[in-house]
Amino acid sequence: MAELDPVIHAQARLRIMATLATLDDDGSIAFPRLQELLDMTAGNLSTHLRKLEDAGYVAQDKAFRGRTPITYVYSTKQGKRAFEDYMDQLRELLGGTP
Amino acid sequence: MTTDDESPLDDAPLDAAAMLALSTGQQKRVSSQFVRPVVTMLGAWGVAWLVGFLALWLALESSAPFTVPIAVAGPVFGILIVGAIVLSIVIGSRMSRGVRGSSVFSGAVYGWTWSIASFAVFLIGQSLVNAGMPVELSMLYYPTTYGLVAGMLYLAGAALWVDKTQLFLGLWIIVVSVASSFAGTPTNLLFMSLLGGGGFIVGTVAVLIRTRAARRG
Repeated sequence: MAELDPVIHAQARLRIMATLATLDDDGSIAFPRLQELLDMTAGNLSTHLRKLEDAGYVAQDKAFRGRTPITYVYSTKQGKRAFEDYMDQLRELLGGTP
Repeated sequence: MTTDDESPLDDAPLDAAAMLALSTGQQKRVSSQFVRPVVTMLGAWGVAWLVGFLALWLALESSAPFTVPIAVAGPVFGILIVGAIVLSIVIGSRMSRGVRGSSVFSGAVYGWTWSIASFAVFLIGQSLVNAGMPVELSMLYYPTTYGLVAGMLYLAGAALWVDKTQLFLGLWIIVVSVASSFAGTPTNLLFMSLLGGGGFIVGTVAVLIRTRAARRG
């Protein structure tokens, strides 16, 4: 059995990846809305997003509404695969079929 | 979890079962955040139809247990229906705020279809009245046609979001609308109130029970 992915195997980052996995395939979510769905502070969320970004699991995209910049967050292809693998591994550990 | 710095608690992994529960729990939490506004919307339509059509029926049916003047029933009906339309538009536009993706386009088209179709029913009715349709006939035309449009929109919603509650609700609303037109006026108004409005309320309760069950996991 391979080691559980340490980037995802942390409560806050798992919740972030689980939330991003509910979006459309081409979907992304505004930073404040993501913060609301996770009930995390902006600083805390940024810290964890940076770690996920460094691993290539998450990417950010800046858009403008009028002159206000909005950051949209989404899971990369690599991130989606890593999250699925992580969940499969958990189920396997618990004795279920992946 | 409220410090601005990374708290060690956030970073600490739990055992496999707890991590699995954390992940599925978060996803359920997200979907219930998106479903909750739908419950409010359905509930509002249920009350608007139940009370609005019942008021109209009480105004027009001479053998009703008590009567309501049409000068009261008409505005009550209008305010309830317009109120439900406004509420639906506000809720619909807030529902996917901050989210981008192909389903947002589907949702927006769907929301606008409600307004366009409702307005079309009203305009066609006006053209029929202008062409000489008597008031009694218009009392059959408006509820039935509007009910048919609403039922078909629920069927479209069922297809878009793969949702069985909307499928049953759509079929039920169509059956009630068509059956009510055979009952003649003003009995059709009682059909729309009790069976149509009642249908929305049963649908609301069904969605509530399902999301509660999901939250408990």
